Amino acid sequence: MRRGSILTLIAIGIVAGGIATAVAVLLPWLPEPASREAGRIHFVIWFVIVICIVIFAVVAAAIIYAVTHFRAAPDDLSDGPPIHGNTKLEIAWTLIPTVLVTAIAIVSAIVLSRNDAQGKDVLHVNVTAQQFAWSFSYPDAGGASSPILRLPKDRSVLLTLHAKDVIHSFWVPEFSQKEDTVPGLTTTLHITPDRLGTYAVICTELCGLGHALMRTTAVVMTPADFDKWLKSQKQASTTKG
Amino acid sequence: MTAITHDEAFGHDEHEHHGPPAAHYSSRISPGVLGMFLFIASEIMLFGSFFTAYFFVRVVNGTPWPTPPYHIPVQVATVNTFILMTSSATIHWATTAIKKGNTWGLRAGLLLTFLMGLSFLITQIFEYLRAGFNTSDGAFPTIFFCLTGLHGCHVFVGLSILLFMTIRAFRGHFSAEHHHGVEIGGIYWHFVDVMWIIVYMTVYIL
Amino acid sequence: MTAATVEETHHVHATAGGGSPWRMLTRGGWIRAAWMTCLFGALGFGIVVLARWGGGWHPILATDPIVLVSLLVAAPLGFLAGLGAFDYWTYYALGGATRPEDHSGHGARSWKDYFRVNTDHKVIGMQYLVTTIFFFLIGGMLALLVRAELAKPGMQYFDNQTFNGLFSVHASLMIFLFIIPAFAGLANFVVPLMLGAPDMAFPRLNALSFWLLPIAGIMMVASFVVPGGAFACGWTGYVPLCSTHQPLGAVFFNQAVQWAGASSIMTALNFLVTIITMRAPGMTFWRMPLLVWANFTTSLLVVIATPFIAGSQFFSMFDHVMHTAFFDPAKGGYPLGYQHIFWFYSHPAVYIMMLPGFGIMSEVISVFSRKPVFGYRLMALSLMAIVVLGFSVWAHHMFVSGMASWLRVPMMITTLLIAVPTGIKIFSWLATMWEGKLHFNTPMLFALGFLSMFVIGGLSGVMLGAVPIDIHVSDTYFIVAHIHYVLFGGSVFTIFAGIYYWFPKMTGRMYDEKLGKLHFWLTFVGFNLTFFPMHIIGTQGMPRRVSDYAPKFADVNMFISIASFGLGASVLVFLYNMITSWRDGELAGSNPWRGMTLEWLVTSPPPVFNFDEIPQVVGSPYEYGVPGAQHAVLVPSKATEMEEVPV
Repeated sequence: MRRGSILTLIAIGIVAGGIATAVAVLLPWLPEPASREAGRIHFVIWFVIVICIVIFAVVAAAIIYAVTHFRAAPDDLSDGPPIHGNTKLEIAWTLIPTVLVTAIAIVSAIVLSRNDAQGKDVLHVNVTAQQFAWSFSYPDAGGASSPILRLPKDRSVLLTLHAKDVIHSFWVPEFSQKEDTVPGLTTTLHITPDRLGTYAVICTELCGLGHALMRTTAVVMTPADFDKWLKSQKQASTTKG
Repeated sequence: MTAITHDEAFGHDEHEHHGPPAAHYSSRISPGVLGMFLFIASEIMLFGSFFTAYFFVRVVNGTPWPTPPYHIPVQVATVNTFILMTSSATIHWATTAIKKGNTWGLRAGLLLTFLMGLSFLITQIFEYLRAGFNTSDGAFPTIFFCLTGLHGCHVFVGLSILLFMTIRAFRGHFSAEHHHGVEIGGIYWHFVDVMWIIVYMTVYIL
Repeated sequence: MTAATVEETHHVHATAGGGSPWRMLTRGGWIRAAWMTCLFGALGFGIVVLARWGGGWHPILATDPIVLVSLLVAAPLGFLAGLGAFDYWTYYALGGATRPEDHSGHGARSWKDYFRVNTDHKVIGMQYLVTTIFFFLIGGMLALLVRAELAKPGMQYFDNQTFNGLFSVHASLMIFLFIIPAFAGLANFVVPLMLGAPDMAFPRLNALSFWLLPIAGIMMVASFVVPGGAFACGWTGYVPLCSTHQPLGAVFFNQAVQWAGASSIMTALNFLVTIITMRAPGMTFWRMPLLVWANFTTSLLVVIATPFIAGSQFFSMFDHVMHTAFFDPAKGGYPLGYQHIFWFYSHPAVYIMMLPGFGIMSEVISVFSRKPVFGYRLMALSLMAIVVLGFSVWAHHMFVSGMASWLRVPMMITTLLIAVPTGIKIFSWLATMWEGKLHFNTPMLFALGFLSMFVIGGLSGVMLGAVPIDIHVSDTYFIVAHIHYVLFGGSVFTIFAGIYYWFPKMTGRMYDEKLGKLHFWLTFVGFNLTFFPMHIIGTQGMPRRVSDYAPKFADVNMFISIASFGLGASVLVFLYNMITSWRDGELAGSNPWRGMTLEWLVTSPPPVFNFDEIPQVVGSPYEYGVPGAQHAVLVPSKATEMEEVPV
């Protein structure tokens, strides 16, 4: 290959990579994270996106270069050179992707185990899903239940998920964590909220007619506010009981 | 490549009176037998999916086996197992007989196999009627009926094949040279028998 | 044998028996199919009623089992029997002497021959393609209805049950009635030709497997008119939603999948036996075209994996109709079991929907680059690697399902590793094009479109393979975007490439190149405008399978809906091109693309028995640029005139 054509190829690759990077950076891809787990998950996403952009740039450069440089005239009936393969090249494009996906697997496994590790002083919340509503109860508050998920900032929360009828799935886009609720099984989900605010709780597993409307909100409060709220709930439930 | 001609391989007994030049034959195994083996591979996977369901209910969920107050009629099934195992021997006898050109051995072997298969199926139907539980009575009855029922369906299919083979045998269509139908049907019947032993072990014994 | 004698014998067979009314009623065909469908339906009804009466189950006239047995099982069997799919087997089973094959069911002389049980693999290939394109149109219309509803937040045109039914039937039709059988149709036409074989190994089984398809398709579409509406639980049919919380329409889905699955198992078995036992002299495994390799590996996947979806649909249906307890936790069932069994098929199914396309790509890219396929053996081996790895990745669909958490990391590793053989294929195609003489005919355009789109789909697939990312985007529009990039940008583009590539061989005529290119560009642009934005709304937080969504996604959804109608319109160009070119396109000649594989050695369309002379394979199928190289030569047959048969 001539030096000029290698330079052209690299130039096309840089342009393609640049466009892909612009698409990745300039468009609003991800909601602003509101939990530590979401921060880590976003890191994995960006880590993989960088690798993907590089591979995309390589492939796009090759396709564009081939299309622009190897076009045959319509009346050109000749054949290309009979190249049947190149062992070094074939080994290279077997090994390099293997290394890249191994890197992705390692990063993912580390993030996964850190996201599942609970901190000290875990707040337990029982989540019950049914067609088509959520309810949240707090064992610490004597089992008081609420249709809205209220959580304190910067505290490890373990959600214990149950379903009454069919499979649902608990997701708050800003928390990134997601888990199905399965009838007959108990599943768990670990979240550490780190940003105050109100977020949407979404059912992401098709659960029937009202699936699109199976929504509620999650409110992340300051620890002081949360304790106050929890206490009031506890009182309410004891006076009721 | 091999000595088998196209006609033999594809089970055509006579010359084709018109049509394509005979296909070239590129394997030592006959298409019918290969097809049957692939079909059996598929069947094994179908049983595999039923055994997976069995695994989830019995191992993962830890359902008591049998779930009280129900009982599994093990003795009847054991007798049935012997009947089916014997029928494997008789079908083997039938195929070896026809390979030697012994048409009476073929007919007797097929008839015996058919009768044993039929008695197996009838016994199983009576077992169902006296089981004392129904498909909707929980996870144990569900798996019990579906695994033995799936096998029962295969016995029924195998019996139909045996019946057709027997009819053809009595009409004199098989000979020492042409016995592909018996061979292929025999493979299926052996598969049905082997599958029963696995079903019997998992559902009745373990 | 000359063409005239073939004509004559067919004429004799066609008119044998005369046209008496009794003969009209009892001869295999549409009239017998009509009354036998009714008869079998009635028998099914009778069996259920008798069994329920005998067993003392009340009510005796229960709708669900009656509809299942009578309408969904017995009536279709009656239809098949009436059409004549079982005629020879019945005759054989009842002790008839083995008949010499008279090929009376072989070949097509008029359009009517496409509407009967035909044993010619070329006719069956066309039957498959036309049928699948018909269901592709219906599935596409359903998708446009979905997009119409989603153009604005809130409910516009449909109620929730109908909306959920629309996308469920859309996906089921596209998967089970378009992509999988369209590949089977292309392969049906091409594989025996490429092998140098006169037909498939089991022509009657081949005919039967085609006729199961319309049954499955009609069953899925018919679920819309069932009381309670179509099945509305997504094409994955997750339980317990699909088994016990759905109207009768769900059973139509369960049973349609069985018919389609049986069809695809029979076809795969047929391909495997054909490829193993009917290769032309000299055609070793390492001289097989990669399309044959691709169908060989796909067929292995089908034969081994498809019984699992059959199992999963049986269980779901039994829970619905017989109130069994496979997935009902209250009775001791295990709901997650369904997902394991379902995905043990349905992940390999992803490769069932992709590997044949890989095969088409290897043919098209090599021919239009005028170069040998780069790294032929590694291409074939990577197909095998995908088959083996494909069975060890099913649980990556279940990272958030609540399954045992230790399964996640091993499944992630195998999932990511499967990117390696797929990458090998992509890079090898690029290397095949490198320094070639590229001709941008429509098949090549679709091949290039496939390469670029499949890379995007593959990369988003790598993202999904990483568990933490999957946790965030699972069940969102990101998934919808990903599957359309691999199944539309991947599979459907290769199907279009294959149809354009073999159109001259199938019909003997050329398609209109200008319209073909217009179709490609409309599809390519429309596709990207429709599906690329879905990535973004997905990661931002829009879940899939919803009829209503947050107002912040309104603008993007409106944009997607408009683009999708453009994409839908592009199909009209394709249809117009196909229909007009089939009728009066330019004559194509036997080898318009200057291809080397065997199908280009015979006339277009090929002779009724493919090869009047036996081909002798002498080399690799892709020796472009090697002076004087040939893949195969035609050796004059020793017995072109068959001797008279002693009667």
